[in-house]
Amino acid sequence: MLTLVNFLRAPLRAVVLLSLMLVPVVEALAHGERAQEPYLRTRTAQFYDVQFDRAKVAVNEEFIITGRFRLMQDWPDAVSLPETVYMSAYAPGPVVTRVESYLNGIPARQSFADLQLGRDYEFKLVMKGRVPGSHHIHPMLSVKGSGPLVGPGVWIEVTGSKQDYRQEVKTMTGEVVDDLDSYGVSRALGWYAVWIVLAALWLAFWLVRPLLIPRWIALNKGREDLLVSGRDLAVGIGLGIVVIGITFGGYAYAKKEYPYVVPLQAGTNKIDPLPALPTHIAIKVMNATYDVPGRAMRIQAKITNNGTEPLQILEFTTANLRFINKQAPGAAAAILKGAPTETVARGGLTLSDTKPIAPGETREIMLEASDVLWELERLVSFLTDVDSKFGGLLFFTTPNGQRQISEIGGPILPTFVQL
Amino acid sequence: MNTKTLPHAPVSTADVVAGSYSPVVQAAGLSPGAARASRLFDLLVVIAVVLLFTGAIHLHVMLLAGDWDMFTDWKDRQFWPLVMPVVMIMFPAALQAVFWNYFRLPIGATVGAVCLMLAVSITRPVQFMLWTDYPLNMVLPAQMIAGALVMDMMLMIFRNALFTAIFGGFAFAFLFYPSNYIIMAPYYVPAAHQGMMASMADMIGYVYPRSATPEYIRIIERGTLRTFGDSASWVSALFSGFICIFMHYGWWKLGMVMSNATFLPNNKKVMAMMGIRADQKSNG
Repeated sequence: MLTLVNFLRAPLRAVVLLSLMLVPVVEALAHGERAQEPYLRTRTAQFYDVQFDRAKVAVNEEFIITGRFRLMQDWPDAVSLPETVYMSAYAPGPVVTRVESYLNGIPARQSFADLQLGRDYEFKLVMKGRVPGSHHIHPMLSVKGSGPLVGPGVWIEVTGSKQDYRQEVKTMTGEVVDDLDSYGVSRALGWYAVWIVLAALWLAFWLVRPLLIPRWIALNKGREDLLVSGRDLAVGIGLGIVVIGITFGGYAYAKKEYPYVVPLQAGTNKIDPLPALPTHIAIKVMNATYDVPGRAMRIQAKITNNGTEPLQILEFTTANLRFINKQAPGAAAAILKGAPTETVARGGLTLSDTKPIAPGETREIMLEASDVLWELERLVSFLTDVDSKFGGLLFFTTPNGQRQISEIGGPILPTFVQL
Repeated sequence: MNTKTLPHAPVSTADVVAGSYSPVVQAAGLSPGAARASRLFDLLVVIAVVLLFTGAIHLHVMLLAGDWDMFTDWKDRQFWPLVMPVVMIMFPAALQAVFWNYFRLPIGATVGAVCLMLAVSITRPVQFMLWTDYPLNMVLPAQMIAGALVMDMMLMIFRNALFTAIFGGFAFAFLFYPSNYIIMAPYYVPAAHQGMMASMADMIGYVYPRSATPEYIRIIERGTLRTFGDSASWVSALFSGFICIFMHYGWWKLGMVMSNATFLPNNKKVMAMMGIRADQKSNG
């Protein structure tokens, strides 16, 4: 039996659902970089030396992002190898535009093939302010089959008016396009209008007449002769001829208007990695734990200095988090001008033994990287990965400030409660 | 009924709009009042059809063709003329079947084409320009109106599903490339950038970054269609036409099946499925 409540249930649901559309929403400022699985961020591309040459630009003003990344030797099985990659910037839409991009000094408008694990690559991205506002911008390496690997980002403030944005392009036929934003738009809209008008005429030709019920009844009464007349056929054939004429006439005209055209350009380029950096370090991870309540990663490692100079641990970095040993020489200069600082741990890196490792010496050291950033950057969920492992880069420095980089990684055990 | 009988009463504007004295209405045997009511019904159906198929065709094309229709720098010479007509012909073929079989209206394909055009005319400016600041020339859609009009003409000429599929379906696909090239030609003009050649479409795709659309997913040309020099698009158009013959016929049949009204027997099992107890009386 229908009650009033039952009767009103559906409309009430509709009202509730529709009212949800009136709930004020906050603009999304980030773009999901923290949502990526930790193994993607800790064991694939480690970005370092990333710099933004300015944090505030006007519309049309350019800024440059530079930096390097190391492709980790211990590349996860679940991630496609970097056989085809694309270097770009990660932004919330085209609030900034791309002017030029390079990987190891080679133009990066197209993709690159066969990058090597364990090697370093250097990028440069020239960007330009377009939409006013404060935007979070990252460098980004896309790997075919795996998706984007995002580097550290900074907030770039773009000032001015979007209407002032201009991107000039000169074609190889000598035409100068003042504003790429509007190139070819009015021409395209004009042609859409031609097709829409033709379709509208054809539909109107039929819609002005009695349409459904009378035609259906007449058809069932066998009066098909009344439904499509000779005049209808003549009009239809005439319109068909006009359409075919416009199609091929327009095509011929477009060919004449643009005699030099090329197919879309897409492809890959081969690229060599940067020259291998000299390193005389051997690292053996004895054990690694992640203290869940303490938000701390602790790594017990045997480090051997095979070089001729003492080495001091300068920094541990993984997934764009940076833990700097503040007692090491050059620690103050480790954060370059314009480097992203959101992911630099305040507490730094704590070592069980801060003395430099002498040449030929092997020492077992406990490294502790403790910070709330593990939680904020949602890296704790590596505990749910199918292969519970960690990875990162360990930076060393000699007394005269020469830097050496080594990969560090291995299995990691979570500590859920203090036993 | 004598359809040649002229009315003696004064003809009102409403009657003219309703076509009360048209031969079709006369043949149907509708009174002027019924003719006016049928005209209101026409209006309601037109509104429903436009709303329903604008959404349905847009969803369908976006799901199956996606980036090929979404982005200017995806409209390549080989797969774009092949994939798009094959995807686009489905709903127009089904609509042709419905409009023709029940009403002898040769407008089904055009209705489908216009509905898609209406949908993209709303979504591209709103979604890309207003919400995400992309320029319109980056997301120019393809149109299928030229092919749809010719397909409707073919139906009117042949009055037969098979021949409409063979000639109309083929024409629908074959006209797609030239009728859209008119719009897209400026975007294939070459430009030099960082010492490399790029079409203007490539430049637009490069300048306005799409974070989740790396360049390598546009590397799609495969095979040896390039044996035909710069005529790869025409080879694709011909092949697309061949496929569309079968697509049209299949979707025509599907349109017929889907427009068939069937009724379930009102037995106890069905009533239980509908939540009606066996001891309840039907309101109907």
